[in-house]
Order: sequence, then structure tokens, then C-alpha cells
Amino acid sequence: MVSGLEQFVNAVQSFSSQGNYNDLCEVLRKSTDVLSKNLQHLDNVLETLDPFQHSLGFLAVLFVKTSNLPTHMTPPSGAAEAAGHAEARALDTLVFSQFQNFIDQCDSSQARLAPETYSEVCHAITRVLVEQKRPHKGIDLIRKAIRKIQKHESQLTGAHADLMQLCLLAKNFKPALEFLDVDICSISDEGSQSEAKYFLLYFYYGAMIYAALKKFDRALYFLEVVITTPAMAVSHIMLEAYKKYILVCLILHGKVLNPPKYASQVVERFIKPLSSAYNKLSLAYSTNSCEEVQQCLNLYAETFNRDGNNGLSKQVLVSLRKKNIQRLTKTFLTLSLADVASRVQLPSPRDAERAILNMIEDGEIFASINQKDGMVCFHDDPEKYNTPVALQRLEEEMERCTELDRKILEMDEKFLVNPAFIKKQQCGSTEEDIALAPAMSGQGSSTFTM
Amino acid sequence: MISEDLVSTCAELERQELTSPTGEASPQEYAQLLAIYLCQSDLCNAKFLWKRIPASAKSSNEELSLIWKVGQCMWKRDYPAAYAALQAPWSDNVRHIMTTLQEELRSRAIDLIANAYSSIALSDLAAMAGINDREAERISNERGWIIDAETEMVHPVRPPPSSQVITSSEGQLNKLTDYVSFLEN
Repeated sequence: MVSGLEQFVNAVQSFSSQGNYNDLCEVLRKSTDVLSKNLQHLDNVLETLDPFQHSLGFLAVLFVKTSNLPTHMTPPSGAAEAAGHAEARALDTLVFSQFQNFIDQCDSSQARLAPETYSEVCHAITRVLVEQKRPHKGIDLIRKAIRKIQKHESQLTGAHADLMQLCLLAKNFKPALEFLDVDICSISDEGSQSEAKYFLLYFYYGAMIYAALKKFDRALYFLEVVITTPAMAVSHIMLEAYKKYILVCLILHGKVLNPPKYASQVVERFIKPLSSAYNKLSLAYSTNSCEEVQQCLNLYAETFNRDGNNGLSKQVLVSLRKKNIQRLTKTFLTLSLADVASRVQLPSPRDAERAILNMIEDGEIFASINQKDGMVCFHDDPEKYNTPVALQRLEEEMERCTELDRKILEMDEKFLVNPAFIKKQQCGSTEEDIALAPAMSGQGSSTFTM
Repeated sequence: MISEDLVSTCAELERQELTSPTGEASPQEYAQLLAIYLCQSDLCNAKFLWKRIPASAKSSNEELSLIWKVGQCMWKRDYPAAYAALQAPWSDNVRHIMTTLQEELRSRAIDLIANAYSSIALSDLAAMAGINDREAERISNERGWIIDAETEMVHPVRPPPSSQVITSSEGQLNKLTDYVSFLEN
């Protein structure tokens, strides 16, 4: 073994046995070069280290190994390349099993000292699986990896975005939901440049998963998080999120809600003009005419297709039909099915009957169909909020509010004892927000509203 | 209601798929999972499951596409076609789930009719419930729905909203204490 590596192994072993992890981190930071120069010996190093006792050292080696993995986007063409491809694949499989071994056995408290390296390894493994078109293989692994490093279940880590991407590509959403359904209230501080990217990606992918499962209210909330993230420049993720925001808004509310006031200026100034096709669509929607919307969809079909918003844009049209039927219930008490058909431009009374039936099934309108006379009778919402069910819902909502209040108080207290904050308050500076921002991010974990 | 059995089988199948060394399940497991999703009316997850089942599994187990055929009909809410698709000869692997699905679909259709129609043709009722006219008459009588023999129209009666939430008074008192202590602080 080369002497540099020997030194590395010795340092890892002695510092780990002393429990002197701070100094170990320092050594590891400096040893990336040594490790990169000895790629071929790293497997031996991993064998001498114990994934639990020497978690930090093991992680550092994995980091160097994964960041030096070859990319193989191009499919093999010649025989020689095919052999190379197989070799690369064998290499990946080895790294993959080493990573698996690490995740199963590593010591969480050590791993939490190097969150950035930990996330980078997760990103690299995810990248390889995505390139190999085997995303389903990583879901369980990354899921375990997140659980291992999280301090509590509402903490967002860099690996969250990886899990979402894998789930989306594998078309398997249930494992993602167990994370998505928990509101995030703190973010692990990884101090890396790409932290914002993975934050945005988590919410963007999460929104896509919710939209695919037709949970549009959650999808809209996730998109809102993306487009209200403070920003000085246009991010592609934000731009795409804004496009989806318009579509989901139309599907859910039948109109585009203005993004909240605290959204960055960038949205209004740059992102809005960049999504003109979507603005036209919302304009067409506001005429309540299915024909106009259809025309707009045809006109910009290529744009929607290129943005991967084909499915959502088609659902906009379906939602307009429903909204038009819902509007009828506001004007009429009873209406013949033939009238419904002509008013919402459906080909026959039979189609109108089906449309109304489906909406009743989904609880979107309250009506009863009278086949004998070919009439439909619209009712008010039968919910009188006087049942035990309504009480239970109220109790649940109140519980959530109490919980939210508790968390906000907690965050508030944390800010109040922050030295930088106190100092600023004493100076009475008007620009405290700007000056405060870097000080805040230096804290153990930056906070984020629910 | 979906039996507890199916819910736990479902969770077990999902777990198996993810933790298997290949990241894929066997065609039989896929078939069961797909059928269970349909039973739970979880059409979105059923659709994406169908999309992620590898082509090799689909070709080795033809039952998979038969099950998805039912799912497609359910997606389009075409009840008569769904009952027709349900008539396929099911293997022992999924038979019990498909039987549950058929019952589930029928009771859902009848509930929907009760909620959505003040009068419906007997033949339409029969088609939506996947039964013949005689059966439809029997079911109507059972539920106290009046059948107009002349026009062959059934007048369904909207069922009273059944809501039984059982909370102990002690639990209620606990919650009230929580609210008050929250508001006081």
C-alpha cells in the first residue's frame, strides 16, 4: 500500500477510536487528493475500515470513489466499447454494494458531521442509477439513507431530491409520499453551493408526484414553495415550476391566483414574460369557452409538449367543462339534460348525464338526475356542519394549528437569542434583513416556514 | 369495505418489490398488487404500477393485461365494460381479489345511483350494477325503492348520511383541556 494511504488509514483509525471527530474531519478534508491519486487501492482501504466505527473515513473514501465514477450516457456501439461498458457496470455494482453496506451499518452521529459529503455520495449514486435507467433499484437505499441522517422526520436533507427523482423515474410514488406528506420545518445545513438547487428540486419533483396522483392542492402548495423562494436570478427550476403552477391553478381553482406578495421580483419581471403560452392559456380559460381553450392548446401544443406539460394541459380543458357545469348550479335549480348539453357544449343529453354523474361521484356538485323527465335538479351542499364528523374535522384542524403555533414560537425563541439578531436590533439598522441573512445561515440549521 | 387482509397484503407486496435484489417483483406479485389497487379504487397508483411493470413480466403473465383492462374501464367509469372485463377466467393467484373487486364495484355503483338519481331506467340500473333486470328488481325492492311498472323506472331513495364516530367523553374532555391550556398560554 502507498504511504499516503497508510497515513490516511492510520489517522482514521486512531482519531475514530479516540472519538476525536472534529480533527478527523479536518484530516479528511485534506486527504481528498491522496485518495483520488490512489483510486485503484481504495477498495482495499474500504476493507480495512469498519463502516460503523470509522463511518467518517468510510464516507470520505466512498465520496472519492463515487465522484470519480465514469459517466456512460452513450450506449455501447463497438465490441471494445461494450466490454468497457460491462467493466464500468461491474465497477458501479461494486460501489453500489459498498454504499449499501455503509448505509446499513454506519453510525448516524458520525455521518451527521459530514452532511455535505453524505449528500454528494447520494447524488452520485442517484446519477449513476438514472443514467443506467435502473431508478427502481435506488429507492429503498436512498430512503434508508435519508432516515439515517435526518435528525427528525420533518428535516429536509439533500438526499430528499434524489429520492423524489428516483420515484418519479421508477413511476413508484408510494415510497415518496411517506416523506412528502410530512411538512418540512427545518433544513439540514450542508453549506454546499448546490443546496438551493436540491431544495428547489425536492419541491418541484414533489409537486410533480402530487400532480400525477391528482392531489392538486398539495401540488399547488409545493409549486408555491418553489416560486416564492427568495431569488436574485431566474432559475430554470423556478421557471418550470411557474408554468406548472399556472396549469395546476387552472385545474384546481379555475383561475390563476397571483403568487403571494413575498415572492421574489424575479417572478413578475422575468419568469412571467418567459411563459407566454401559459398566460395565453389562462386568458383563454377566463372566457369560459371550451373552444377557445382547445384552440389555444392546439396552437401551443408543441410548447406544452416540449415542457412535458402535455397531460396537465389536457386536464385544464376537462376542468373547464366541470367548472362550466358547476356554474350552472349557481343559476338554475332544475335544468333539462338537453339544456345542460347545449350550454356546456357536449354532444348529447346522454353525455351531459354521464358528466354530471361523474361529478356527483367525485363530490364536485350536488344534484339528482331524473331520467324519467330528462331533468337534473341541483341541490345545495348537504353538509350542515352539525355532525360528529364535522366536529372531528374541526378538532383535527385545531390540533394542526396548535402544532404550527408551537413550532413558530420555537423558531421565534431561537431568533431572539441569536447574537447577530440582538446586535442588529441594538444598532437599529433599517437594512437588518439583508445584513442578517448571512449570519442566520451560519446557524446550526436554517429555518423555514411550514 | 376493503378487508384488513388486503391492506396488509398490499403493504407487504409494496415492501417486497422495493427490497428485492433486482428492485422488481415477480409477475404474480405484480398481478396481486394491481388487483388490490383496483379494489381500493386507487386508480392513479394502479396506472403507474402498470406503467412500471417490466415488459418481460407482462408477456410472461397474460393475466396482468386482463386485470389492467378492468382498470382501464374503471378509469373511464364504464361500468358495463368493467363487468364484462371481470368475467375473464382468473387464476388462483388473484381470484379472491377479483371477486372482491366485483362486489366492491357493484356496491359502489348502487350507492352512486342512490345518491345521483331520483329516477333511473331499470335497464340502466342493471347495466351499472352488472346484473340482469330480475336481480335489479330484487335489489330495488330490498332497498325499498319504488318501481314504476308502466315506465320501468326505478325511484331510488337517498340513504340518510350514516356517520358514526365514536369518541369517549373522556377523550373529548382531554381535548377541551388541551384547547384551553393552549389559549391561556
